[in-house]
Amino acid sequence: MANVRDRIKPAAIKRREVTDKVFHVLFALAGVISALMIIVIFVFVGGKGIAPFLPSYGENRQNIWDFISGMAWRPDQNPPIYGVFFIIINTLISAFLAALVSFPISVLTALFIVKIAPRKLRSAFTTVVELLAAIPSVVYGVFASAQITTLVDNIARFFGQSTFGGTSLLTVAILLAIMIFPTITSMSITAIAAVDKNIELGSLALGASKTQTNFKVVLSAAKSGIFAGLILGLGRAFGEATAVSMVAGNAMTGPTWNLFDITRTLTSTMLSGLKETTGVDYDIRFSVGIVLMIIVLLTNLLIQYIKRKVGGVTND
Amino acid sequence: MTNQANPSIHPNQPNQPDNNPNTNHTNSPNQSTSDIIRSERGMTTKRRFTDGVKNFFTYLSTGLSVFVLGAVFVFVFTRGWSTLNWHMITGDYWSGNYKAGFTIQEPGNFTAPDNLEEGAVFSTKYGFAVKDDKNHEKKDIMPLLYVDPNSPLASSINLASGDQKDQPLVPDINSQIKKITYTNAEGKSTTAGLLGKQNAEAMINTLDNESQGIVSVDYQSAGGGIRGSLIATLMLIGITVVIALPIGVFAAIYLHEIAGKSKLTNAIRSAIEMLNGVPSIVFGLMGMTVFFPFTALFGATTPNILLGGLTMAVVLLPVVIRQTEEALITVPDKLRMGSLSLGATKTQTIFKVVLPNALPGILSATLLSISRVIGESAALIYTMGTFVVDDPKLNGRATTLAVQIWSVMSGEQPNFELASAISILILTMVLILNIAVKLITTNLNKKWKE
Repeated sequence: MANVRDRIKPAAIKRREVTDKVFHVLFALAGVISALMIIVIFVFVGGKGIAPFLPSYGENRQNIWDFISGMAWRPDQNPPIYGVFFIIINTLISAFLAALVSFPISVLTALFIVKIAPRKLRSAFTTVVELLAAIPSVVYGVFASAQITTLVDNIARFFGQSTFGGTSLLTVAILLAIMIFPTITSMSITAIAAVDKNIELGSLALGASKTQTNFKVVLSAAKSGIFAGLILGLGRAFGEATAVSMVAGNAMTGPTWNLFDITRTLTSTMLSGLKETTGVDYDIRFSVGIVLMIIVLLTNLLIQYIKRKVGGVTND
Repeated sequence: MTNQANPSIHPNQPNQPDNNPNTNHTNSPNQSTSDIIRSERGMTTKRRFTDGVKNFFTYLSTGLSVFVLGAVFVFVFTRGWSTLNWHMITGDYWSGNYKAGFTIQEPGNFTAPDNLEEGAVFSTKYGFAVKDDKNHEKKDIMPLLYVDPNSPLASSINLASGDQKDQPLVPDINSQIKKITYTNAEGKSTTAGLLGKQNAEAMINTLDNESQGIVSVDYQSAGGGIRGSLIATLMLIGITVVIALPIGVFAAIYLHEIAGKSKLTNAIRSAIEMLNGVPSIVFGLMGMTVFFPFTALFGATTPNILLGGLTMAVVLLPVVIRQTEEALITVPDKLRMGSLSLGATKTQTIFKVVLPNALPGILSATLLSISRVIGESAALIYTMGTFVVDDPKLNGRATTLAVQIWSVMSGEQPNFELASAISILILTMVLILNIAVKLITTNLNKKWKE
């Protein structure tokens, strides 16, 4: 009896092999296309964003230095003034304020969920965090422009200050704090859950209390993951657009240092007045987009750096 | 000399900042080691207190997050619940002005139905009910609540000139009556209604007491509906899933089943990872520059649904790839080896053995994608526009539900009621999808546990 393979028609084997090859190519193609998208984004958005500064743009050509160092955004003037520097500072301030509020709360919540809460409640609280992450940003925007603005307006009145209907830097910061909370918390949960049990047992055996162990040993062992979460949260805060644009107030000049004053972030600039805009006012949004991309890219690099530098026991 | 009952003894650890110098030192030469160990079992009051405070802050933080989640839900439901109804879901967003005449103009004798809502005023002569209300701009409106099947209003015809003239045009429930023209006792045409500064009760009184018949009604259709956005959202979901799913699943197969560990695959992985970190508004910019020329081939001159779909497909690629890959990881290698050793090719193994077993993962990738499309706004504001359209077309402007929220909120008069009502719908859909994904993933992980 000959080999079974000999009974199969050579044509059938050939066909099978060809199909196999074709699909291998298709799979690889899908992988490469997915990977190329990030380059496509950089090239095309970058190209369109640089265009307003090039000589080929025509009479509305912008000066790139004025754009980068500018402290006013006045599309209403003739000729319009587009300066992005104060907007960068505003974006950074609002994101850092948000992180300042959100970071301790997120880490403590993560610690509670993983180490302190009773086993039965654990999944319930994890679900709470996941639901907060799932709420779309416009919904947060509606919530913020009704509730957080009122809250901020009341706080301002308490300090004898006034706001423009509650739209202010503080409102943006609180909104962003809520929106980055699930990001930092879920990263912290992963990091804390990954801490080696033996380190904890060692600490307990040395006589430390459960709480001491949680705060001193577990948190410091998980710090690399927790900081990665913080920076991921910052990245989200920089890029958050629709919700922020509802409560930022779009200040024309800046930077905004007063908590109760209106502000303007990179994203809110890209969305403001989009309905009725054309020409250079539309194209300059791509330039703002590049600035945003660069900031987010730097944040990503920072994550890589921190992961390598801070170390911690979780990534051995 | 046993210090077991003395609560002031505590371990002298290097990590402990609040070491109180006044307490007894545990390393006193008079104490034996066993005594020390025994006394360590009880914590000091101070230790207990600081531990308690620290724990309290973790409770507080968690409580705060639960509070925020609750606050968002309570807010959205209280502001939006009364606006959410079937008419809103199926209705047009834009309201039009209409003038209707009647084939039956004579009054009859009608009785009010029992289930009329509070504040409704019923006309016994003409068999319809209206009430006083205010719209979100705080302007007075007079919505139509009920029309008797035999009422003259049920015999309405269009009076406006054009090819719709004399066609039946019965005002929908919730249409806003502006004025009603009637014939008075002397047979002259007179008007009653909001335009004559009459509220609902005064208008009905005038009609029931002074009229011989009614001539015409001027009204505005209710508007504020979301049908167009709902359809556009469904179209967008369809396009996005059809594009993103095959590419994403194939890419995941490439990364997990075919490509080994090499520099190239690492580069592809980190490129996809980076794509995940790009803010969604930048995807909107990318869509306008990269895909717009392509949709122009389909006759698009403005941002359009197809463009939104292509853009969202790119946004979702990392999500689909990650979810699929996680499902592929759970499929045990023995299945692949079994298939390969029976003589199947790699492609056959992937399609007949691996993918069927990873199906729950692919399903959860799909559901997660749908949830992301429903919630996305920034990328779509650029690629689909913000102009609410009542009958969306693939190559024309449209808004999804989320973008409609942004659209009604960023006008001169933010419409919180409509925005919250749409938010209820979005939240419900997104939460159901997310919980479904969670259930699927849990079951998937259990499946191969043994």
